[in-house]
Amino acid sequence: MSENENSNEDTIPFYPDHIRTEFYVVLGVLAVVLIIAIVAMIKPVGIGEPADPLNTPLHVKPEWYFLSLYQILKKIPPIVLGIQGKVIGVVIPIILVGLIFIWPFLDNKPDKSKKIYWIRLAFVSVAVITIIALTIWGEVS
Amino acid sequence: MRFFSLKRFGLLAMLVIALGLFIFISTHAKANTLPTGDQSNPPTSPNWSLAGVQPSSPALVVTPPPPNTDTCLSCHILGQNKGLWTPLARWVLFGSLGMVFVFGVYRSASTWVTKSPWKPLTNRAADWVDERYQISEPLSKILNKPVPRYALNWWYCLGGITAFLFVVQGVTGILLAFYYKPTPEAAYASIQYIESQVYFGSSIRAIHHWCANGMIVVCVAHMLRVFIMGAYKRPRELNWVSGVLLLILTLVFGFTGYLLPWDQRAFWATTVGSEIAGAIPAIGNLAIIFLRVGWNVTGETLSRFYGLHVIVVPLATVTFMAAHFLMIRRQGIAKPL
Repeated sequence: MSENENSNEDTIPFYPDHIRTEFYVVLGVLAVVLIIAIVAMIKPVGIGEPADPLNTPLHVKPEWYFLSLYQILKKIPPIVLGIQGKVIGVVIPIILVGLIFIWPFLDNKPDKSKKIYWIRLAFVSVAVITIIALTIWGEVS
Repeated sequence: MRFFSLKRFGLLAMLVIALGLFIFISTHAKANTLPTGDQSNPPTSPNWSLAGVQPSSPALVVTPPPPNTDTCLSCHILGQNKGLWTPLARWVLFGSLGMVFVFGVYRSASTWVTKSPWKPLTNRAADWVDERYQISEPLSKILNKPVPRYALNWWYCLGGITAFLFVVQGVTGILLAFYYKPTPEAAYASIQYIESQVYFGSSIRAIHHWCANGMIVVCVAHMLRVFIMGAYKRPRELNWVSGVLLLILTLVFGFTGYLLPWDQRAFWATTVGSEIAGAIPAIGNLAIIFLRVGWNVTGETLSRFYGLHVIVVPLATVTFMAAHFLMIRRQGIAKPL
């Protein structure tokens, strides 16, 4: 099906054209990796204090990509509508991930016009800005 | 087919350099240096206690004789015992020269005997393989598959970058695993050892650390690109599903890998993280026990996270990546409006 689609439009061969482009991208990433390697010789990632189960530090923070979830969990009131806030803070992200997971089966109509791109872009922007704001909030608090 | 064009040599050279660097980093050994403070009284003979000859000996290290006191004069005249890499370099240099010579003799003799032009070795090798496994036809079909031109747009490189970063993570992760010890007693010290002693150890660790962060960023960016362009629509639903699974696996990589340095941040982040998993209704306690191997974060947790991080999650990721790529291959790249 897709081959018929492609046969009557502008195509390039997978090898060498597409491979070459991907290879340049790889070279670009490698350059970044090399810069990281050189910088690390001057300034290593480093390691904190050794783990001590008896000594809880003041500010426990997860990695930045879990920080927004953690911030929601921290700021949610202890009891919401008779349910524990903690449970809600855990269940809502799981439901959201589940929603993302089955999204193609919910939104299964083919796109009509390019307008839908902008609608989705706006939606994504709002979501990303919310997550970034929560992350920054979690980082400074 | 010109097999040995300059570009291919460049690729080959890059591979050789990468492999050499890999071996160089993984052969970090103090075999050629004396322990500090021992210069005045160097050991005169190798310590054979590793072989069980002298089990009461305190040192379990085979120390070669120091260069300035060993008695092998001829070794120094011949330039031996200069380093771990000297014999290999010598064999590669002289061995390749010898092979070039033998090859030249054989080629001259062959063209003289058969009175026909020489057929390059690479073509012979390709024919040899093709005769047995008939791969040239499917291979050329794979390589010549037409790709739509819009696939060269910059937005389409994000998935490829994610895949390549996964490869980078694999290589640096193997190097780290060579030196890392997943026990609460030794984990922290082994990280310090990697940072300070191993050749390029701090670089390797920094690449693993920052590329892990970069992989998550690029992975999410790829997902947003697919979402905005509606590339998840029929018939590519399952590709989206496998992609979301890959993103979750990337996050699991991050969560399990974060504990491994076994410092305060790692320990307490894992404590809090697994506690959050414990708040899931119905399976909360089960999740805590699965993650922590008990009610507290202990050495068993470290072992489990290490096992998840280096075996289970990579295998799952490779499986889903293969499925992801095969589906793209089968269905083609989604056409934007």
